[in-house]
Amino acid sequence: MSVIAPKFKFSEFVKSILDNLFWFLLIFALIGLPLVQIILFYIEMPVIDGELLTPFLALTWLADPSRTLPILKSFMATDLFRIAAFPGFGFAALLAAGTIFVERKMLAKLQLRVGPFYCGKIEGILQLMGDGLKLISKEIIIPAKADKPIFWAAPVIFVGAAAAFIALIPVAPGWVVADVDVGLLAVFAVIGFFPIITILSAWSANSKFPFIGGIRALHQMVSFEIPLILSLLGVVILTGTLNLSEIAASQSNFPWIVFLPVGAIVFFITILAELERIPFDLPEAESEIVAGWLTELSGMMYGLVQLGTYLKLYAFAALFVVLFLGGWNGPMIWPPFPEEIITKGIEAGPITITIPGLPLFSQETLNGIVWFVIKTVGVIFFILLPRGVFPRIRIDMLLSLGWYKLIGLAFVNIFIALGLLYAGVLGPGGML
Amino acid sequence: MSEEKKESIESESQEKPTPKPTPTKKPTLEKVNLPEFEKGLADKIVEKFGEKTKVAFVKPDRVRINVSKENVHDVAEFIRDELNFDHAESVSGVDYPQDKEIEVVYHIGSYTDSSLARQILVLATRAPREENPIPGNDATRLPSLRDIFYSVEFHEREVFEMLGVYFEGHPDNRRLLLPEDWADLPPLRKDFAIKGR
Amino acid sequence: MSAKLPPGLALQKVDERIMTLNVGPQHPGSGHMRIIVQIDGDFIVACDPDPGYVHRGEEKMAEYRNYILNIPHLERPVIHDSCNVLYPYVLGVEELLGIEVPERAKYIRVIASELNRCIYIMYWLAIYGIFLGHSTMFMWPAGDRELLIDLMEKMSGARVTHAHFVPGGVRNDLPPNFEDVCLRQVNYFEKRIKEYAAVFYDNPILIARTEKTGILSRQDAIRLGTTGSVLRASGVDYDLRKKEPYDVYDELDFQTPVLKEGDSYARSKIPWLDMMESCRIIRNALAKMPKSGSVRVKLKPNPKGGDDSVYKRVESGRGSLGCYIVSDKKPEPYRLKLSVGSFRNLIALPYLLKGEKLGNMPSVYWSLNYWPVEADR
Repeated sequence: MSVIAPKFKFSEFVKSILDNLFWFLLIFALIGLPLVQIILFYIEMPVIDGELLTPFLALTWLADPSRTLPILKSFMATDLFRIAAFPGFGFAALLAAGTIFVERKMLAKLQLRVGPFYCGKIEGILQLMGDGLKLISKEIIIPAKADKPIFWAAPVIFVGAAAAFIALIPVAPGWVVADVDVGLLAVFAVIGFFPIITILSAWSANSKFPFIGGIRALHQMVSFEIPLILSLLGVVILTGTLNLSEIAASQSNFPWIVFLPVGAIVFFITILAELERIPFDLPEAESEIVAGWLTELSGMMYGLVQLGTYLKLYAFAALFVVLFLGGWNGPMIWPPFPEEIITKGIEAGPITITIPGLPLFSQETLNGIVWFVIKTVGVIFFILLPRGVFPRIRIDMLLSLGWYKLIGLAFVNIFIALGLLYAGVLGPGGML
Repeated sequence: MSEEKKESIESESQEKPTPKPTPTKKPTLEKVNLPEFEKGLADKIVEKFGEKTKVAFVKPDRVRINVSKENVHDVAEFIRDELNFDHAESVSGVDYPQDKEIEVVYHIGSYTDSSLARQILVLATRAPREENPIPGNDATRLPSLRDIFYSVEFHEREVFEMLGVYFEGHPDNRRLLLPEDWADLPPLRKDFAIKGR
Repeated sequence: MSAKLPPGLALQKVDERIMTLNVGPQHPGSGHMRIIVQIDGDFIVACDPDPGYVHRGEEKMAEYRNYILNIPHLERPVIHDSCNVLYPYVLGVEELLGIEVPERAKYIRVIASELNRCIYIMYWLAIYGIFLGHSTMFMWPAGDRELLIDLMEKMSGARVTHAHFVPGGVRNDLPPNFEDVCLRQVNYFEKRIKEYAAVFYDNPILIARTEKTGILSRQDAIRLGTTGSVLRASGVDYDLRKKEPYDVYDELDFQTPVLKEGDSYARSKIPWLDMMESCRIIRNALAKMPKSGSVRVKLKPNPKGGDDSVYKRVESGRGSLGCYIVSDKKPEPYRLKLSVGSFRNLIALPYLLKGEKLGNMPSVYWSLNYWPVEADR
């Protein structure tokens, strides 16, 4: 047996190289050059080290790697990066994917089975990717009598609303997509969208089970929005601001859950209901109404709704962290960036590499991100846990819980906050 | 029907089986080994209705009464009110094409009377059978026992669709198990043959 | 056949605010049947069960096969409970043919029957759990069931459809060492099912959901002729293993659980309590069983019954299961009728669901211990 494949011919080897070269040049000429021109003419490039960034300059990265980091840093300062990658969609989607994996494995362990196991070498870690590919490749079936534009739009709007929610969450000091002064009000406004999207999707499907599911979702979300809003007012009273970054920053000494445990509990229960998690998964109650308002959604439309649901899950958990658990605040655990690399560079034998632009993130930012992620994952864990323990409750029990008990508890929470404020213990000008 | 000549394994413990399709003579009630309690039940019915009922057999825990279709309602009422039987376990239809009759057998039991807990009273009646049945619109009719034993509701619906016996007085004579568009013979009749058999 | 069609599933004329829902046959919460539900808001105003989607004509098929060939297909209605569903037929054929079964075979039958009852109830319980949205209660029974299925596999060679009972005894003797393995597994099984109380039967949400829903009073339970766990949950102590003991049940020491409430919670608890009694029966039977002896009486080939009819009944996982066999001196039964517990309990469904909330429909429906395939036969 020879090492070279039996059909090896030198001429074909040369031909394959020439083929690849041809396709590379063709694609570069057709796409790459116009792209460079578009960037040259239409995009406003940042100024780095006193000179305007041009495509020519960008191409010099290849020759001089030390220019890479400043450009990267300037890119990280843009809104696009914030929206698409770090505190925004990409970061949240990554955490959501992790959530799905953890949920499946944890539920499997609770139920004495193994969960996803084969897809991906390690413990089925690629199962989610496989599921996503399957959903993308599936046919999308629209009910014949559906109101098609709304039915098509609903899953997209759902993901959009979830992404808007994420945009309001501060992850680390200064790291937030939309740092608005009325952040909490904006959160309430975005939450108010979800029941509308749900009922629109359900109603436009023109089918009975989605309709019942949509009505249930409407009842559930509307009746739990009121205790949700009321339970957060205690925090607002004590901090005197609606800006989420300021609320998080105000908890540098102690998180608000120490003083407002009632509000935290009410908020946690309303999170479960807003997210349609077991035991509050009535809008998707399988044995009663097939899949509730998701019944007629197929293929990637269903996948989008699931994506939106898990983004929402992350956003609510993050909101809980920001409001009650102190956001990014925590003791410094991140090791400081070694000074020598900035001042002297990396010495590898005879060569010394100095990399300008380090560090990318400050130590405080990285530490804040770590604490934020740890706390968020903890809250997500507690949101997932009831699924293995509780059965589903009934709509009348749910409504009486929302309207009688949680609203009452939320008012108790407000009175605690007011008491603390007027006693002069906490709040603006308080003792602590 | 071709009669089998060979004898099968016969049970010694049973009494002589009476010819089932047409029980012409009364069973020999004066036989010594008849169970006492069951004989008492049969005697009560015979005492009340006399010649209208025929006791087909009395076995341990099982008493079978054959009644004509005119009297089945009265006998069932007597069984419920006087003998404390309170529910029907099963309603079975049996087709006898050579007699041109369809037999409907009620198996009646009791939950409330602990002395009757072992007992099943078998009440059998017969409806005329037609060669070309039009279920619901022919002479194959019987009075429904639903007003006496409530539990026969679904059983009688099943007998109606499977054998074409219409139960007069049943509030809900609809199909139960068969498809709604079934237009063939009632399937449990003997002339409904399975293909290839 | 120019027969005029009888009225189909004629629904009641209803007014505008009432919505008709077809729950099933393709619905995660219906099984192989359809429940036509009319709802006014969240309340069920009328309900019409429509079984028959898995009707296979077992009774007609039985008229074409002889008494031995009927064994495999008659256990198909409930493959999880195949020993119990075959039991009355086997008893009836034995009475028709006048066979006396060896003592050891009777004990083996009781053990197999109780194992099968547990296997069936575990499957039922798993589905009851998922009907209430409790996914852990779906996985645990489905997994613990395997313990007993392994035992049945040891005993009969098949995991579900055993065809182990034959007229005259059981097909095979127990494998060597079966008693020890059985005792060990049953003891572990009993320990496991006691843990279900913590996660399921004592769960406050479950109790709040199922208590005082779908109440079937004692009078109604008797009047509707319900049977099995439905009847015993309504306070009627009627279990054929006690009331009309077949085989060796009169020599064994056990109780039949009875609850008085008659709601879905009681109906769902009775099978669970039943399983513990089954474990007790199995242990008891293993101790009392003759250690050796014949397990089967050889029959003549193609046996024929007399000109007679028998009605035999046993207590299956779903209640009393009766088998009415009419014989006419031929090798095949002239008529065979299975009166099954599922079919008898189904009649209670419209009465229980009327006025109930839609959210209670799965729990009430499944608490009736209803097995659609068995009801259709």
